[in-house]
Formats: sequence, structure tokens, C-alpha cells
Amino acid sequence: MLSIKNLHASVEGKEILKGINLEIKAGEVHAIMGPNGSGKSTLSQVLAGNEAFEVTEGEVLMDGNNLLDLETEERARDGIFLAFQYPVEIPGVSNMQFLRTAVNSLRRHRGEEEMNAAEFMKLARETSKQVDLDPNFLKRGVNEGFSGGEKKRNEILQALLLQPRLAILDETDSGLDIDALKVVADGVNALKSKDRAVLMVTHYQRLLNHIVPDYVHVLADGRIVKSGGSELAFELEERGYGWLGINDAVAS
Amino acid sequence: MKPAPKLSSAFLEPAGQKLPSPLLELRRQRGTALVDMPLPTRKTENWKYSSRYLKLDDTLAGSLTSTGKAGTDLAVEGYHAVFRNGVMVPEASKLPDVDGIDIRRFADLSDSEATKLAERLDNTLDSNAVQLARLNSARFEDGLLIQLKPEAVLDKPLFIVCETDASTSGSAYPRIYLDAGHHSQITVVEEYTSTGEQSAMVNAVTEFTLAEGAQVTSVRLSSDGQNVQHIGATGARLGGNSRFESHAVCFGGPLRRHDLQVRLEQPGAECKLNGVVVTQGKQHYDNHTTIEHVAPHCNSEETYRNIAADQSHAIFNGRIHIHPDAQKSNANMSNKNLLLSTGAEIDTKPELEIYADDVKCAHGATIGQLDEDAIFYLVSRGISRREATTLLSMAFINELIEQIPVASVKEASQGRLNHFIEQTFVEG
Repeated sequence: MLSIKNLHASVEGKEILKGINLEIKAGEVHAIMGPNGSGKSTLSQVLAGNEAFEVTEGEVLMDGNNLLDLETEERARDGIFLAFQYPVEIPGVSNMQFLRTAVNSLRRHRGEEEMNAAEFMKLARETSKQVDLDPNFLKRGVNEGFSGGEKKRNEILQALLLQPRLAILDETDSGLDIDALKVVADGVNALKSKDRAVLMVTHYQRLLNHIVPDYVHVLADGRIVKSGGSELAFELEERGYGWLGINDAVAS
Repeated sequence: MKPAPKLSSAFLEPAGQKLPSPLLELRRQRGTALVDMPLPTRKTENWKYSSRYLKLDDTLAGSLTSTGKAGTDLAVEGYHAVFRNGVMVPEASKLPDVDGIDIRRFADLSDSEATKLAERLDNTLDSNAVQLARLNSARFEDGLLIQLKPEAVLDKPLFIVCETDASTSGSAYPRIYLDAGHHSQITVVEEYTSTGEQSAMVNAVTEFTLAEGAQVTSVRLSSDGQNVQHIGATGARLGGNSRFESHAVCFGGPLRRHDLQVRLEQPGAECKLNGVVVTQGKQHYDNHTTIEHVAPHCNSEETYRNIAADQSHAIFNGRIHIHPDAQKSNANMSNKNLLLSTGAEIDTKPELEIYADDVKCAHGATIGQLDEDAIFYLVSRGISRREATTLLSMAFINELIEQIPVASVKEASQGRLNHFIEQTFVEG
């Protein structure tokens, strides 16, 4: 599904990604772990199409097509979804209006009929219960005044509504208590299917107790330095990054 | 030094003699006072950003001739008065038949009624400040006099549709005078709209006087065509514990100038002035507002938002004048501005003159662009950049539109603003 080859990217002239190679197939769950500053979030942002990051080398293919040629919205329509580490607050745009506009953009792209307000409200209310988010949050401004946990649940709500083919979760576990973590993990597990893939970016192993990855990759200084199965996450949890020759403190 | 351009005498030849003689006489006097009136230039302080948009050539001096049939643009339910080229069209109007509320066209007033009106016309406006709007008093051909007896309440809004038929060149001078008796209540929606493609000017003046405890809400929709220059002035004088609310929805054009002057003359009076302005292409809009805190214990709250796209130009000048006796005044003014393109210009000037020492007076003005993080968040969900820009721009003004107390006008405004913003060029 997704093939990343020798990807280099910089921000404001500083190279952050220094040659990433990664293959993700449909049905797989991948986790990228690594210390702060290793480039995890940059990778997520580059895949989603944030123009603040400049790709200087390499390529990313989605189903054989060059993803990097596409605008951000086109990537989303082709099935890329990024759950933000820091979801943006947008006062004045209601969550409901935002979600419906997004869902209808995707439906239009697929040649499906748009959902009217009543149909969509029903769907959104049901789905928000699935992530334990009070449906009243649908009436509020996008993420406006939401707590950290509510913002993350709102991200998963979006993923469930948009049904992406590749869901990228950028530090979705950070700032969550154990109950919220469970809710978020259940949401992600509900997304898993043989047609979809999940890429989790995380600093800690604890999310991986709830969403078991097929592959774990360790990112350090802009490169993947080690890949393995889910057992690698436990090893990192126990031993830290030092045994891989990575200095956690310096890297952050 | 080059002499300042003057108002052409062609503008001082009113047509339409179908008014009671006291009003004809008033019009003549006002015209005489405008002979050789210098036109505003770049050096005229309160026109310095706008004088270059003003094109008062003689083709605009004549009256407009109406060709078509008057119709209402807003889906008007309930009461409405339709003006075409400044003259009321009774057959297109539906006026309320409510106790204590008297609505008459100027042309139908008796001489004694007209004499009383003539004594009061212009008494809410500072003629030195409104300059060009003074031309209205020298040229109006008809008008609407709305009188509310004490405690009279109009159950539904009164729409006043001022339509300009610009199938020939010329100018129109709609005129409204509203006199609200003590503890009376009314909501008035003025809509300015036009048909036809020739160059034209609308010069519209509306005045409100509010007696003790009266409540008047004014909604003003400015959506004349791109061939029509619009100069308008609204004045309001407030008695004790009265409340005046103004909601302006302003679409840009070749020249758009509106002066809003509110005088809080007795203790306990309060006003709320909201304005939403959108401009695009090479359009212009200039709002000048003045709030006079004359009496103590009065409140004023003013919120204007401008959105300028492309190479357009929006201006906000908000003056608050707190007189020496106006202790315990409470005045709040906020003007926020959004620039959608690098070629757009917004000039904002809060002007505070405070001569009393025990007052609260706050003002704030900001100019910014759309938040790129918010745009990225929206487009990362598959929403197009254009749609994202529209959503965020509407979010910027929605808070004010939501406050428009007439549901049909609120919805129509939202629809029109949304459509307008969708048309603007979006920089990638």
C-alpha cells in the first residue's frame, strides 16, 4: 500500500529525515518508536502533506502512485488520515459542520451522494458514543476548549467517520489517562481490517499493549535503525534506547 | 495650489416636486447651503482613504428613471415598504395596521405634518462630519416617516427595501425618519439593492429618535450592484434607558461609505453596533462610526469585523466621544480584521476622546491572516483549500451574524456571505 524510499525532509533548512525506508501493506499495523527529536512527527506531517516540511530526496508511493505530488486534501481523499499530536482548535466552526464537510468531501470524491444534515447527525452521534465523547461536543467549535483527552478522542472519531485506508497516529497516546487510552485503542482496533493499515508513532510502549503492532521500527536521528516484531517494543520498554547506541537525552 | 474640486451645480437641481411645500422649501435651503461645497480629497481627514474611489461626474447628477416593476429582493414576509429610486411604491408595499404605529410616505403628509418633520430632519446627524450625505436633504423626492406612539410595539420586523434601477445613469436619495415614542419597540430591516448596469449613486439617510425606554433595532444590508456608488448616513438620538441596536452587513463595491452616528443623550441609554464587512476584487467599503456619550451612566458596545480579499480595501474609523458630564460611561469597541490576500488593504482607526474621569472605555483592533495550522488541519481531512478558507472566514464573522435578531435575514446573510467569500481568490 505505502512504500517509502530513501525519504529525506527538512524544515527551515535543517534536515530532519535522513533516508527513511518503510513498506506498509494492507492489513498491517506498524509502530514507529524513538526518542524525542528523532523525526517521528516530521514523518507523519510529511506523509499528510504539511508544506512546512520540504522533501529533498526520495519518494513515497501509495498504491504505486507518487504521493508527494498530491495536495494535502487529495491525499486525504485517497485514504491518508493523520491523527494530530496537537489537534487544532477552530472556534466558530462547529465540530458537526467540520465533520460533515470532511465526510462529504470524501464522498464526493468517491462519486457517492453527500449526506444531508439529519443523516449525518445520526451517524456522528452514534460514532461519538463509540469513542465515549459526549454528543454535545459535536455542537461546540472544533476542539474548542476540549481537554487533551477529548481532543484525542475527537481525532479517533474523525478516523472512524472518514474510514481511511492508512491511519497515521501521531503520539495519540500522549497525555491520556488509562481509561482514555483504552477508549482510543478500542477505536483504532475497530478501524483495523484487511484493507487498512495503521501507522502508530509513539514515544512509549504503553499504547502497544492495547493495539498490538505487527512491526516495530526504531527511529533515531532521521533513520530507521532497527525493525522487529512486537517484542521489540517490550525490549525498548525494558532497556531504553541506549543499547541501540541512541542517547535519549541528547536526541531530545 | 490647485483649487479643491467642488460639487457640481448639476447635483443641486432636484427633480420630483411631489412633496408638501414645507419639505420642498427645506430641500431648497439645504441645496443653497451646498453651493460650491468642496468635495472630499485625500487631505480631508475623514475621507482620506476613500476620496479616490469617489466618482461624482455629472452623469450621476440627474434622477434615475424607473423602468421595471419594483420587487423585493429578500423573501419578505410580513411588513415591507418598497422604494424604487428613492420614491415609495405603495402597490409593492405592505404596511402594518397596528395601533399606535403610523407609517407614511413624505409625499402624503399634510402641510402641517410636513412642517413638523422639516423642523426635525437632519437633527440626528452632525452635518460637518457627514458631508456628502447632506446632499440627500437637498435632493430627496420622497421618504418614509415612521412614528410610534408611546408603548406601541410592532410585532414583526418592518422591511424597507431600497431598490435602485440603474438602467439609466443618475442618483437616488432614499430617506427614512423614525420617531419612537417612550417604551415603544420596533425592528427595521433596510436593504439596499440594485438592478441595471449603468453607473449610479445611492445617497441614503436614515434617522432614529428614541424617547425614554424605547427599543429600536436596525438591520442594514448593503448589497447594491458593482455599478452603484453608495453613500449613506444613519443617525440615532437616544433618550433615557432607551436601547438602539444596529446590525450592518456590508458587501463591497466601487465606493461604499456609511456614517453611523449615535448620541446617548440621557442616563441609562445604551447602544450595540455590530458590523460585518466583506470586500473582494477592487472593491471598497468605508465605515465611519461615532458614539457620543453625552449623558452619564450610558453603555455602548461596538464590534466590527472586516474581511478583505484580492486587491480590495476596507476602512473602519470608530470614534467614541465621552463628554465632560458623562461620568460612569461604559464603552467597548472592538474591530478585528482579516486579510485574505497580500494585495488587500485594511485601515482601522479607533478614535477616543474622553473628557470625563470616571469612565470605562476599552478598545481593541487587530489585523491578521487565516491561521495556516487551522487550514492544514481542515485540508488534511479532505476539505478543499477554498472550502477551508470559506469555513474559517465565516467563523470569523459568524458570531456577529448569529446576533441578527431576524431569522430570515440572518440566514440570507449567512448564505450571501458564504457565497461571496467562495468567490474570492485564494492564495495557495
